[in-house]
Amino acid sequence: MKKINLYLLEYALGYIVRYRAKNIFIGVVLTLLIAVLASFFFVQNSLQYELASTLDAQPQIIVTNQKAGRDTTVDEKMIEKLLTIKGVGDVTSRVWGYYEFKHMNAKFVIVGIDTFENQYNTTLADIANNGELNASSMLIGEGVQKILNKSYYRDYFNFMTPDLHVQKIYIAGVFKAATTLESNNMIVMSKDTARKIFGYTSSEATDLAVSVTNPDELSAILVKIQNLFPTFHVITRKDFKIALQNQFDKTSSIFLTLFIITLFTFFMIVYDKSSGLSSEEKKEIAILKAIGWKIEDVLKARLYEGLIISLVAYLSGIILALFFVYVLNAPVIKNIFIDYNDMTNDFVLPFVVDYETLFLLFLLSLPVYMFATVIPSWRVATLDADEVMR
Amino acid sequence: MIQLKHVSKVYDNNIVALENIDLEVKEGELVILKGVSGSGKSTILSLIAGVLKPTSGDVLVDKKHIAKLPDHFSSQYRRDNIGFIFQKYNLIPTLSVWENIMLPLVPLNLDEKELQEKLMHVMNMFTIVHKKEVLVKKLSGGEQQRTAIARANVNNPKIILADEPTANLDQKLSCEFIQILKKLKSLHKTIIVATHDPLFFDLDFVDKVIEMHNGKLQRQSVVCS
Ligand SMILES: Nc1ncnc2c1ncn2[C@@H]1O[C@H](COP(=O)(O)OP(=O)(O)OP(=O)(O)O)[C@@H](O)[C@H]1O
Ligand SMILES: [Mg+2]
Repeated sequence: MKKINLYLLEYALGYIVRYRAKNIFIGVVLTLLIAVLASFFFVQNSLQYELASTLDAQPQIIVTNQKAGRDTTVDEKMIEKLLTIKGVGDVTSRVWGYYEFKHMNAKFVIVGIDTFENQYNTTLADIANNGELNASSMLIGEGVQKILNKSYYRDYFNFMTPDLHVQKIYIAGVFKAATTLESNNMIVMSKDTARKIFGYTSSEATDLAVSVTNPDELSAILVKIQNLFPTFHVITRKDFKIALQNQFDKTSSIFLTLFIITLFTFFMIVYDKSSGLSSEEKKEIAILKAIGWKIEDVLKARLYEGLIISLVAYLSGIILALFFVYVLNAPVIKNIFIDYNDMTNDFVLPFVVDYETLFLLFLLSLPVYMFATVIPSWRVATLDADEVMR
Repeated sequence: MIQLKHVSKVYDNNIVALENIDLEVKEGELVILKGVSGSGKSTILSLIAGVLKPTSGDVLVDKKHIAKLPDHFSSQYRRDNIGFIFQKYNLIPTLSVWENIMLPLVPLNLDEKELQEKLMHVMNMFTIVHKKEVLVKKLSGGEQQRTAIARANVNNPKIILADEPTANLDQKLSCEFIQILKKLKSLHKTIIVATHDPLFFDLDFVDKVIEMHNGKLQRQSVVCS
């Protein structure tokens, strides 16, 4: 093959400009389509990444107590009993729960820690290493700080206990969390302070975090715990992962349907626009053939044209989507995922760009457009030039 | 050089445009095809250019069977041999003069220098170079025609086909075209002009005048010079 034919490329560019009304329309539709699809993909990727890192912050095994088939609190005395099981490495009680800031329309997670204990998660380990928490102080995530500041809570917050007492807790500092989710919804205080806010007694805990010395024995240990304590509900990190993944797959399949519908709609719009080649365009093709262009030359020109339009549309679509998702934080689209997956809202998406996604989008958008433009031209190009020119 | 043997053309709507035509044009000849509107002049030119296929019979150019060429090769054949000056010029109105003239060369991917030389050559020859940047739709009739002629010559074809070249021109411009024709003839091009303009009928440099009627050849008169 010879080097790329710049004259043909120039002709294709000129063609776009000469028939600009139509091409701008198609370009804009294509850009918007790619922007919408890319936004969905970006949000999905970000959330998935976020969930994966959140899961990594979970203990290997969580034991909850159940009453009437519902989760209830567990007594710290159970720690001793669990530690007697062979293969169990460490058992920590966890005091945590949700607290709704109704007037701010936000729901935060309060986590109680004792700094002398082994922490099951890196963010908490960092906090514990950095010092003490007293009975009336808390540390908050950077995201939480932003939200509290909006309501002018800069130094303290008044929590309401279940028996309607006010607990004034001072903001002792802001921590940097390992995940955006933690940064945006986590408040850390001492276990005793958290107990007060939740209305727990001094030996009550939300659940127990269990680690095993040898991960291979995990399932055997699960069985042992279950046999010894039939009212306990045992969840592993893996169970968590599967449950979350299922949720995500459901959302993704809804999204996939949407995706196909959008793609199809676009195909119809473009096909409609370009199969209705104007008589001028038809005539131009006939003239080119009559002066010695081959069908392949005509199609090559259209291919260049399609390539230019779809490349420009692709790039501007991606840029639009990046702006929408990571600067505007994906309003509307994010909510589709979050509502569905029951996650807290005010939440900044972590920047995750997956090249496979970009490539997939490219592959999906390009041929659709090419198909829709090249085929009608091909039909005209194979006609007798003589007939079209008359 | 050009031979039509028992050529008939019936269009899809059953109109018989040509009926059993036999015609020969030798290299370097200038032939005038005359006849009233609808007699089949344009159809003959289209057949020779290979943009149309005969219903029966054979079209030979340089002993090649034009009628049987598949699409791909008939384009190649036109590119190499034919300069077509169409009845309505068939320029692309939204392109400039030089862009129109350059079109036949676009698929060849020549280098810049060679391309520019060819363009300048024909634009000078047909005195349109002063309008080279102007959009074709803004040209006068005569300028459009000269652009069309320049485009037909840019690939230096052996055969020039001109369909009603003076139909849209006034007296003065028509005479100018005659001069152009003379120039092309002196370059040893084989030329066929389809026209019913009497201006062409007794030119001293015309080799043959062929009259058509209802898709048939009436008579061939040889002009003696
Ligand atoms: N594409 C076509 N489909 C159907 N009929 C056609 C087509 N082209 C030409 N004809 C018919 O074929 C006959 C010959 O047409 P042609 O254009 O060859 O005549 P012409 O001598 O060039 O006429 P004019 O002087 O008007 O240009 C006419 O009756 C015309 O109506
Ligand atoms: Mg005609």
